[in-house]
Parts: sequence; C-alpha cells; structure tokens
Amino acid sequence: MFEKIKKDFTTKTLVLIPIAIAINIVVGELVARLKLPIYLDSIGTVLVGAIAGPWAGALTGGLANLIWGLFTPTSAPFFYVAAVIGFMAGLAGKYGAFEGETPYWVSVLVGAVFVFSLTLFVLAFINVNVDETGYATFPSMGELFSRYLLLFIVAILLGGAIGYFLLQKGGYAGLWGLITGVIAAIISAPTAAYVFGGVTGAGTDLLVAAFRASGGGILSSVLAQGSVSDPFDKMLSFMVVWLILKALPARFKAR
Amino acid sequence: MYVARASGLHQLHPLTKVLTALCLLIAGLTLPGNWTSYCITLLIVFPLSAWGKVFPNLLHIVWIVSLPFAISVLLIQSLFWGAGTPIFEFWLFAPKVEGARYALISLGKIILVMSSFLLFSLTTRPDALMIALKQAGMPSSIAYIIVTTLQIVPSFQRKGATILDAQRSRGLETEGNLWVRARALVPIVLPLALGSLMEVEERAIAIEARAFNSHKAETSLIEIPDTQFQKNFRTVTLVAMPLLMIFGILWRL
Amino acid sequence: MAFINIQNLTYQYPTSKAPVLKNINLQIEQGEFVAIVGPNGAGKSTLCYALSGFVPHFFKGELSGSIEVAGRQSSQSTLSEWVLNVGLAFQNPFNQISGAKYTVFEEVAFGLENMGVPRTEMQVRVEAALQLTGIADLAQRSPYSLSGGQQQRVALTSILVMRPKLLVLDEPTSQLDPIGAREVFNTIRNMAKDGTTIVLVEHKVEWIANFADRVVALKAGQVLLEGKPSEALTSDLLAEQGFGLSRYTSTAREAKKQGLWKKDTLPVTLDEAVEGFKQ
Repeated sequence: MFEKIKKDFTTKTLVLIPIAIAINIVVGELVARLKLPIYLDSIGTVLVGAIAGPWAGALTGGLANLIWGLFTPTSAPFFYVAAVIGFMAGLAGKYGAFEGETPYWVSVLVGAVFVFSLTLFVLAFINVNVDETGYATFPSMGELFSRYLLLFIVAILLGGAIGYFLLQKGGYAGLWGLITGVIAAIISAPTAAYVFGGVTGAGTDLLVAAFRASGGGILSSVLAQGSVSDPFDKMLSFMVVWLILKALPARFKAR
Repeated sequence: MYVARASGLHQLHPLTKVLTALCLLIAGLTLPGNWTSYCITLLIVFPLSAWGKVFPNLLHIVWIVSLPFAISVLLIQSLFWGAGTPIFEFWLFAPKVEGARYALISLGKIILVMSSFLLFSLTTRPDALMIALKQAGMPSSIAYIIVTTLQIVPSFQRKGATILDAQRSRGLETEGNLWVRARALVPIVLPLALGSLMEVEERAIAIEARAFNSHKAETSLIEIPDTQFQKNFRTVTLVAMPLLMIFGILWRL
Repeated sequence: MAFINIQNLTYQYPTSKAPVLKNINLQIEQGEFVAIVGPNGAGKSTLCYALSGFVPHFFKGELSGSIEVAGRQSSQSTLSEWVLNVGLAFQNPFNQISGAKYTVFEEVAFGLENMGVPRTEMQVRVEAALQLTGIADLAQRSPYSLSGGQQQRVALTSILVMRPKLLVLDEPTSQLDPIGAREVFNTIRNMAKDGTTIVLVEHKVEWIANFADRVVALKAGQVLLEGKPSEALTSDLLAEQGFGLSRYTSTAREAKKQGLWKKDTLPVTLDEAVEGFKQ
C-alpha cells in the first residue's frame, strides 16, 4: 500500500501538482469572468489524477483548497471533498476513462440516464408529503411517473442531447465525472450545512433557496442543490481533461 | 496575503500560530452555546490580531468575504424557514425569527473560520511556515508544492490573460449568450493546460539536477527562532484539540 | 584513463522511432573545456542529458554502450548520486527557477540544502558563487522579478555553487547580451582552469573559438568530427554540412576563392578576421 502511494510521486508528479493547482485557480477565475453558471475549478486536480494516479490526485485536490484557503478562507473546510474528487479521477484514469474514444450511443445513454435520475430525484423531493406529526414520506415512483410522464420524456431527450453534443466521444470520462459529482455533493453537504448554514454566497444559493421554499430541510436542500450542480460540473471537468489528454503528445503522458 | 509588521505575533514560531488558530476554530465550532463562535472571535481572535497590528486588514477581508454569505444566509434561512414566528408579513414574504436566528448563528461560524485562518496567514511568511513544518517532520515534497504554487499562480494568471487576449484578437467571442460564452472556454483552457504540461519535464529535470531527490538529511538556510515556552504551549494545544472535540460531541449527545 | 569516457553509446527515447544517439565514442580529460556544435536534432541536448544522468535514469528508453565520469559508470549509479558530481544547466531559465524560494540568495542555496550542507558553510558558498557570476547585487530580489538574462545567471550560479566535477551547459547564455555572455564565458573558463571539466552546447561559434579547448561536431546522432576550435570550426567538412560556421569563416572562405584572403588558415572570430584581412 505505502509503496504504491510512493510510486505515484515521481519528481514529475511533484512538479505537476503546483501547475495543476494554478490551472484550477486560473480556469476557475476565467469561468467566473465569462459568467458561466458552473465552477470548473477542479480541472487541474482531475488532470493530476488522470496522469499520476489516485493518491497524487487526492493530494492535489486537498492542497489546492487548503492553499486557496489562504486567500478565500471559505474553501479550506472543503479540502476533503476536493481530495475525493482527485482520488476518483485517479481511479477513472486507472480504468482507462481518459484513453480512447467511446461510441456516441454511450454518451447519449450516460446523458439520458443522468438527467432522468436527476429529474426523478428533484421531483421526489418537491413532492415529499409531510403530515401533521412532521413525518415525511416520499411519493411512490409509479405516482410520479403517471403525474409527470411528459416531463420525464423531455428529461430523457434532453439528457440524450447533452450526452451527444457535450460528451461526444468522451462518454466514459463523462460518466466518471457524473459519479464523482454525486459523491462530491453527498460528502460536501454536511459541511456546507453545518459550517456555512447552507450557503456559499454564489449563484447556486438560488437553488438552495428553491429547495428550502419547496419544504426541504437545511441539510437536504444543500444536498439537493449539490446533486443538481456538482455532477454537471464534474462531468464537464472530466470532459475537458479528456480533451487535454487527447491533444497531449504521447511523450508527455509517460510518467 | 502576508502583511509585514514588527509585532510580537509576527515573531512567534509559525507552528505556534497555526495551532492556536486551529484550537480557537475547534473551540468555537464544538463548545456548547449558540453564540460561542462570536465570543471567541470578538474576545480572542480580534484582540490577538490587534496585537499583531493587522486588525484593520483582517476586518477588511472578513467584511468583504462574509458579506455575500451574510446576505444569502439571512434571506434564505429567514424567508424559507417552515413554521415559526414571523418578524413581519408583506405580500408573500414572512421572514421568521427562528430562521434569522439560525442565520446569525451560521454567520458567526463563518466569521470565526475566516478570522482565525487570517490571524495566522496575515502574520506568517509562507516560507517560514514551510521550514517550520519541515522541521516538524512534514515531507519536503509537500513544502515544495505549497510554496511553488503560491509563487507560480501570478504568472499563470498572466498566461491565462494573454491567451484570452490572443484568442479574442483572432475573433473568439467571449460575450453573448450562454452557449457562446461556454464555447469560448475550450480554446482558452486547452492551450493553457497543454502549454503548462509541456513545462513539467524541464522543471522536474531542473530540480533533480539540484539534488532534490538526494537522500541526505536536508539543512536549511533560514533559522526559525523558537522558545521553550512556545514548545510547551504547542503541546498544550495539541492535547486540548481532541479534548475539545470529544467534549463537544459528548455535550450534544 | 580519461575523466569522461563514453563508449559505443546508442540511445533511443521511449517514444522516438529511431536512435537519437548512434555509437558515440568520446573521451574528455579533467579540466578540459569541450564545446559541442551541430544542427537542430543532432542529439546535442540528448548527449547533455546522457552526461548528466537524465538519460536513461529520468527519460528511461533503450541505452547501450557505457558512460563513465570520474571513474563511475552511469548505469551503476542512481540519478540522485550522479547529480552530485555532474551539474546541468540548460537554455530556458524560467523553468530552472525552483519556485520553492523567495530570494535569489535562497534560490542558489536550494541545492546545498538538499545536499545537507551545514548552514554556515552554505552562506559562505552562496556568497562566493554570487560574486563569481557577478549577481551579488540581486541576492535579495525575488527570482521571479528578474529579466531572462538575470534568471539565466541565477540558474547557472545555482548549479555551480554545488561544485560539480563536470559542468554540462546547454546554451547557457541564450538570453544574455554580448557583455553578459563574455562575463559568463570568462567565469566558465576560470572554472576549467581550476579543474572543473566543462561540456558546453553553443550556437555562437566565436565564443567557442575564444574559450573552448576542443570542438565536437554532432550530426544525426553521430560524431562528425572533433578537434581544436581553430581547425575544426574552419574545416571543409563543416562548410559542406553548413553548420558550426561563424560569419567570419564563411566570409573569409569566399574571399579566399577570389584571392582576397592570403593566409592558409581561416578565421573564426572578428579579431582573427580583421588581422587576416589587414595582410
């Protein structure tokens, strides 16, 4: 185990990590300047995971947030989330998610399944029944399907289109990004809810507000917000890394 | 981030400051009482920062960073707080006392996290911290990553701006609807990332050539002054932190 | 036994399709100042990496033959041991700044810290090295605030402060003005006098003629010729190949065809050309 971790850290990896963190910061700032509704502030972290393995990815993510915490202290408490993202990217790399190309139908399927589950999740959340004693029950799947059939069809079509146009031939990388995003949303929710009262001071707070308005508790609203924005954000980050690695000459990929 | 001042706080060993900040943070988040975090910020962190002659700097940054949080948390939690006592009612809006209270408690925690972090980062040179951490047994590779990142970020920001300008002058649209702006990302991110990855090899060779992987015990050019009192103090904080956490958890059970 | 002994060296990078160095044989004595010339892609930089241990230890790939420096075989040593004897400085100064230090003084001390040199000795050595390369006035500046030429001197100083027995320099003056380049060459020349062996890749042929003891010309991964600078750099072979020529050599060669250059030997430097044309 320890030997394996050590193998992840050649001098090249060590040199790569500060560069990757700088990429996180610069791209994050750029996205904010272009006023895009996403973060894309973990491209460097995913890149290190993809090139140098899970442990190097985890270290990059964790350090990135702690170092950036020197400037915006609010990012520091989420260092463990960033570490998990880097680790997941490393696993994705190990299983070849950043190599080669996937057929378009895989990307369509990934997009469709994702947007479908997201819709299901959000609808179940909005339609939660709270009785007088405060006991909450989720609506049954059948009930939801019959009530929102059209919406589900739209979701699947939209998801398929997202897969086709955004993921293109990087369906496998996109899939890993989505899974990573879901995990990130789940593990960051407690910190966001407990330390920060459920807000980040950014545009995504509108989503938290929407979920609170529809009756969600603080923790579950934060979780719901994260499940909507994080998977999409991480899917795009993994995609961009897949593009970068595709364009990188073979000579620089070797460890 | 570091602000050079001649103060007693600046002269303390970096680890003393890190551990003090961490201890205050943990105390504020775990000790019972909803307003503990405000007490610790006002009674300990702020006076300490005044001793370090960085109180105005600290207050300024805390103000700038916490303002959007404050607005967001107050609006969301007071307006969308299920059942509770309304402060006033106006059309659809009925902010609740309980929600506002919760928001203020959250805000206290945010301010404590920020100000205790700033207390040490405003008064500690990053390189001194790294040397201290290395002497305390942290691998030198971690120290290398942290200091190098802090040093290269400005040059990467310049690089990013240069690429953005270059692509714009070639006709890349960066204004317009969401789709147009989103499509502008790839032609900027790709050259930035690729260009930097090409540098990795030479940078690695350069530091290897300077015995970076030598197995000899490293020495350090800069000496970090330390005192026995501070060493004892640090031991106390190290014992206090887990105790505080355990106490905080037990109290809530 | 020569200080550097390269025998039948053939090497191929993991991702290259053909060998970059082909059957190189080269012997260099201690304290000798050898300059390497050659067109792009001749394998000059790869040879530098081979001497400094990065080929094959860092780049991997297939290597046959042997590289021996100061009685030790590269294949039987690790890279971290090898760099203590052999220093390498290369062209791009920005990538040679470690990034881990805030002042030039600390930057130059970086290698010594890694070597475990005691603090008091470190201070003396860094000060001496900064004096030697003429950048003592930059000691407290941030390495990132310097010009390319200044950074290049810092990179060179950072290597020679480690006192390697062999100093490998791949175009170390590319960012310097002629005055700065002359100073650096003087420093290197003096180090060679004190027993440091120098291997230098350089495009500016006049500098080689003025400072080096020997020239090795590489072409397509093979040694084309070697000899004293005044002879090798004016040889017909290099003129045919079209590299490693100073403008004075080319001019005088043309002049000789038309009977305007009377001397038997061709010039390399401006001074030699002026003197020759005076006759």
